[in-house]
Amino acid sequence: MRTLRLIWVGWKFHVKSLTLSGFFIVTSVIQPIIFASLAYLLFRIGAREGTLLYVALGAGMMGIWSSTLFGSGGAIQWQRWQGTLEYCIAVPPPLLLVIVPLTLATATIGLYSLTATLVWGRLFFDVPLDVAHPVAFVVALPVTVVGLGLLGLILASTFVLYRNANALSNLLEYPVWLVTGLLVSLSLLPGWVGPISWALAPTWGVNALREAAIAGNPWPEIGMCLALGAVYLVIGHFALQHFERLAREQATLSLT
Amino acid sequence: MAVVEAHDLHRTYRTSTGTLRRKWKDVEAVRGVSFAIEQGELFGLLGPNGAGKTTTIKMLITLLIPTKGTARVLGYDVVKDAREVRKRIGYVFGGERGVYERLSGYDNLRYFAELYGVPPREIRPRIDALLELVGLKGREQERAEGYSRGMKQRLHIARGLLHDPPVVFLDEPTIGLDPVGARELRATIASLADAGKTILLTTHYMFEADALCDRIAVINRGQIVAQGTPADLKRDVAQGTVVEVEVFGIPEGTVERVRSLSGVQSVSVEEREQAQLLLVQTRADVELTQAILGQLDGANVGRISRREPSLEDAYVTLVAEE
Amino acid sequence: MTNARVFFVGGYLSYRALFNWMHWSYYIPTMLGAPVFQVLFFAYMGRFAEVENDEFFVVGNAVQLSAMAGIYGMAMTVGGERWTQTLSQLMATPANRLPLFLGRALPLIANGIITSAFAFTVGWLLLDVEIAASQIPALAVVVAASAFACTSLGLVVGAIGLRVRDVFFLANLVVYALVLFCGVNIPLESLPNWMETVSRGLPLTHGIEAARAIADGASLAEVDHLVWTELGIGACYAAAAFGLFKLFEFEGRRRASFESI
Repeated sequence: MRTLRLIWVGWKFHVKSLTLSGFFIVTSVIQPIIFASLAYLLFRIGAREGTLLYVALGAGMMGIWSSTLFGSGGAIQWQRWQGTLEYCIAVPPPLLLVIVPLTLATATIGLYSLTATLVWGRLFFDVPLDVAHPVAFVVALPVTVVGLGLLGLILASTFVLYRNANALSNLLEYPVWLVTGLLVSLSLLPGWVGPISWALAPTWGVNALREAAIAGNPWPEIGMCLALGAVYLVIGHFALQHFERLAREQATLSLT
Repeated sequence: MAVVEAHDLHRTYRTSTGTLRRKWKDVEAVRGVSFAIEQGELFGLLGPNGAGKTTTIKMLITLLIPTKGTARVLGYDVVKDAREVRKRIGYVFGGERGVYERLSGYDNLRYFAELYGVPPREIRPRIDALLELVGLKGREQERAEGYSRGMKQRLHIARGLLHDPPVVFLDEPTIGLDPVGARELRATIASLADAGKTILLTTHYMFEADALCDRIAVINRGQIVAQGTPADLKRDVAQGTVVEVEVFGIPEGTVERVRSLSGVQSVSVEEREQAQLLLVQTRADVELTQAILGQLDGANVGRISRREPSLEDAYVTLVAEE
Repeated sequence: MTNARVFFVGGYLSYRALFNWMHWSYYIPTMLGAPVFQVLFFAYMGRFAEVENDEFFVVGNAVQLSAMAGIYGMAMTVGGERWTQTLSQLMATPANRLPLFLGRALPLIANGIITSAFAFTVGWLLLDVEIAASQIPALAVVVAASAFACTSLGLVVGAIGLRVRDVFFLANLVVYALVLFCGVNIPLESLPNWMETVSRGLPLTHGIEAARAIADGASLAEVDHLVWTELGIGACYAAAAFGLFKLFEFEGRRRASFESI
């Protein structure tokens, strides 16, 4: 019970902090809009049949991934620069319960991207916003955010061990967009990409949203997203423990 | 059982230079520190910058793992039972960083109150009381990034006391505060001690340690060089005299020659604007003024005086030594 | 002779000074790793949307990538220097400004060509892109022209950065705008008219057009009007940047604003 409240309070705290951080918000709205415009233009002239809503959701998910990636990848490093990492460690709850709300918040900020992408598409590209299964959609959305937020946990806990977390964040933006089939069908990619895509939450998330919006059955995808989230949680937990131990031994919790 | 126990704590840092060909160097910041703090005691760790105070305190609050030695807080080992320790201690490091800038002071405290497990019903009243105590009342809704250095310091202090911990660690808490604020803070610290909390305070202000602490440990270059009540430490240097000689340009080798005079306990030099002040601590039973002046043969000498040693002299002696 | 020294040595040293925070652990993922996937991403998106062919996207992105170093590098040169407060000292030097700044441009252009070449190789190895070896020199010329034009634009961004607080954000915005407007991933004819008009005034547009023609077998002579236009655009932006510098320098001396970060 206390754990849930802790996550809730922490999540609110970090969402507020990120929202008030001008730079972060602007890049989480402007970049997705530009990529979405590109996608809308391209698919409109392309020969492929299909609804632009499919594209819109893919473009929106690109934004959620970017927010999560850049927000979470550098999260622990950012805490260190801000001088708050030591305070995150020296509190009674395990580091996991301090970092998870933070990574969940970064994924949540991605919702600004998704909204912007959909609204922009509706306003300027006649993207139809009719959702076939509203209830399923409303469930799929937070589940997707949670799935990505927990993937962010792994990013946060592993990137911090690398000298240049920002470089890894730069590196993983396009590849994940590509292999999770956000704007390309996985059937077009080499077969070995399949298993990689299944291990990544955005794949299931975007499929869940698409199934819910465009008529289909999203529940298996929603389930997979949650299951993956659980796996990420376990991996992240051990990665964080390792990081904390290492940092306390090597005195790298603060900059001095 | 002592509330805080440190047994032969050691901490070595590994630093590296260069990027292509890394050279590693081991720096021993803490070299065998031991002390014990009793329940309700206000214990001071006094030493110059770089002495190892912050490193020692970080080991006690579970942020650093000692390279050697052990420490316990309220019976819990700081390495093996870190979580139990964290539940029962508060710490204040101060400084410009360490707050979530985009959010208000209140939001910061609210968040940490949750992290420290303050019961929900008590969070609001506790925060209000603490804001009152540290003098931030009325400014708590402003963004922390707009706080002055002193205000941030106060916020740190409020945060450290949120869960009403029985043991409090304060690392140079009055740094960055104006004299009035610093005095208020010292009064607050004293009242915390009166309320029964066990407090470890680090500082390089000798008068602060003297005024507040029940016991002091003087630390220099990673080792404790003296331990005891302020009175004990003064007593150790009370026998003796201090001869102060104002010199305009101390000749080479003077310090060594004076040090080698029999009856001299320590020699140090203080820089003043135009001149230097040669401070010689001698045993009480000898009269060395003439001998000292003899060593200054040829130099331009100003005022000469003899006086009783103060705690400051004791401190300077202790930390000036190699 | 002094100008040449200022040009080469000054450029090299400033490049190192600014990027000496850029460890290989940052450079390789950012400058070589990410571009690979950018090319793949757009090529596959093109395949999925069933628009054009792989070569279209590879050429477009390879030329665009040559520009990134120019825009970020130049914007950071000015923005970064302001940050490190050496700008006012720089402004006080007697060295002729033109070779000074062009000296900074050279390493960035070289950087851009390397990234571009890398992207082309990726297209050749992993996608269906075949470019005759005989076309490579011509491509290199076009890429260099575009890189130069973008570096000039970066200079303008940097100049504006003397006034605006967050130059990095502005640089980002410009890069994204170029991706959208200049026919990098969308055929120019398919863009709304107003966008196509704007693109004619931006760098990359003509360079990409020329590069695509060369990839299809055209000779450098056949596209030289496009290359000259690209260079001309670059020259215009550079001139505009120097105009801004003169203006801000004058105002900066008046208002002592160089140091305000």
